[in-house]
Amino acid sequence: MDDLRTERIEQLLDYIMKKCLWQFHSRAWDRKDQNENILTKTKQLLCDEKVTLETPADRCYWVDAVLLAEAFRERYGWLGGLSRDDIADIMQGLHDRLDYLTITGSLNKELTDQHY
Amino acid sequence: MPHHLFKCSECIPERKQHAVIKGLGETLADALPLGYLNTIPGSISERGCAYCGAKHVIGTPMKDVIHLSHGPVGCTYDTWQTKRYISDNDNFQIKYTFATDMKEKHIVFGAEKLLKQTMLDAFKAMPHIKRMTIYQTCASALIGDDISAIAQEVMDELPEVDVFVCNSPGFGGPSQSGGHHKINIAWINQKVGTFEPEIKSDYVINYVGEYNIQGDQPIMDDYFKRMGIQVLSTFTGNGSYDDLRGMHRAHLNVLECARSAEYICNELRKRYGIPRLDIDGFGFGPLGASLRKVALFFGIEDRAKAIIDEETARWKPELDWYAARLEGKKVCLWPGGSKLWHWAHVIHDEMKLNVVSVYTKFGHQGDMEKGISRCEQGALAIDDPNELEGLEAMDMLKPDIIFTGKRPGEVAKKIRVPYLNAHAYHNGPWKGWEGWVRFARDIYNAIYSPIHELAKLDISKDEIPADKGFVTRRMLSDVNLPDEIRNSATMRPYSGDYDCLPNYMGKTYPYMEKTPAPSTAA
Repeated sequence: MDDLRTERIEQLLDYIMKKCLWQFHSRAWDRKDQNENILTKTKQLLCDEKVTLETPADRCYWVDAVLLAEAFRERYGWLGGLSRDDIADIMQGLHDRLDYLTITGSLNKELTDQHY
Repeated sequence: MPHHLFKCSECIPERKQHAVIKGLGETLADALPLGYLNTIPGSISERGCAYCGAKHVIGTPMKDVIHLSHGPVGCTYDTWQTKRYISDNDNFQIKYTFATDMKEKHIVFGAEKLLKQTMLDAFKAMPHIKRMTIYQTCASALIGDDISAIAQEVMDELPEVDVFVCNSPGFGGPSQSGGHHKINIAWINQKVGTFEPEIKSDYVINYVGEYNIQGDQPIMDDYFKRMGIQVLSTFTGNGSYDDLRGMHRAHLNVLECARSAEYICNELRKRYGIPRLDIDGFGFGPLGASLRKVALFFGIEDRAKAIIDEETARWKPELDWYAARLEGKKVCLWPGGSKLWHWAHVIHDEMKLNVVSVYTKFGHQGDMEKGISRCEQGALAIDDPNELEGLEAMDMLKPDIIFTGKRPGEVAKKIRVPYLNAHAYHNGPWKGWEGWVRFARDIYNAIYSPIHELAKLDISKDEIPADKGFVTRRMLSDVNLPDEIRNSATMRPYSGDYDCLPNYMGKTYPYMEKTPAPSTAA
């Protein structure tokens, strides 16, 4: 099961790394916000949960989430067979992995530069 | 992802940290090229200077402005014949070039009087232009001329004019990227918020990081207008000085470049609460997704979908014609900056080209993260390459074509690799659905040019065939294609106009009523 979970997370991760840009903002704090908000909203869309759009920033996170959820559903049919809890688990794993690759494990020395 | 040390750089082992080969199963956390560092002494760089980045890359596309360099006349070199940032006001900003023409005596005695007189002369010579940007150079920065004070003196004497001062001397950063940063922040600090623009739509955006290379901007502008969106300002391609002073009134910043463009969006987000949305402008899929994203933000997705359907139906058969003939060809994608990641995945997905190498001359590590993520396994990623490394890479990778700038492009031609100008394009625009087909056509024409068949021969050792007759590109490209593709009734080569821009000029757009935006989704 762990291997399958890892394989599925890697599939979703591969799509994000190849097709998206939002995960590569120039500052660590910005990447953290992007990953957190877009992936949370994507999970909510995939689980048919309500997505709150209170601020203009929320709407920006939401539009990226809409396209991501749509691409995930189209490409990865196995998502349709998962329960909400399983989807939430996979998305949490994806979030952790993306945070590692783009923030905590990133070799980009400029992420914490105080000066632009 | 192992680092790669070029044979020609064995005497500069630090260079090993600047090149990486994308390996199987490895990630960005395994290796990433260093970037945005001072060029290592002993290694020749192809970079530009910070002044070049501020003036020639970011500032000059602003159209209704006298762009004045305060320094030696040689600093104004990049102008009409080298930059293709065209504008719809007869290309004023690149047709004329202005400099104070500092000499040695000014270095000794100062050049403030010279600057003031030159400003007055320039406004007198161009009475219809009331806006000016002054660019500091190494020479005027070293002697400490107070350019801002002089600009204020001129504005006091000529109340109808407005002057922007950009302090970005050539030595102000390791590459032109330092200049991009300085001009963007200076613009935010000095000018944004000083002009109230006319708002004509319920949906208003700033389009940031679009420099109107060969007409890219009107193409994108057309899509936004067809959705009823007002492009308040384009930073800076075909952009108007006063529109850019009014950037604070937009509802959304649509960002297409990095990384300095990120700074201006982040500052607008912080100071004025305008959110930022990143988009891709190249390729059918990414561009369609981008328009959908902007439309979704405003709650007008149906308008974007109508454009995507119409444009895809019109141009997809033509893109497919080229993709069938470009499949498997190897590309060195060496554009200098952001196009390394704008193009890396989509030329593979939509034109079937294989990216065997990416590089950036002035990009940051963030650019490399994006580019490496998007290119294929085995690709060689290089930061700040020099000419010898470029030659060695091409000898190793044997690309069928290279997308790069003029200098490395001419070097590539000498070793018989056809090149396309990734900075200024060959026959652009390359943005938009039609533009993407024009790009595919330019790639096809370069790879299958019969003249390259001759150029590939080395007359010092190769036998020159005397039995070859007349050939066309089509004869070269179609020889191994299956009949159903060669004789396809649906696929066709580019059928647009030689100059497609006039089709966009003078178009009118109906006012579109606001659609109530949904407050929640799903």
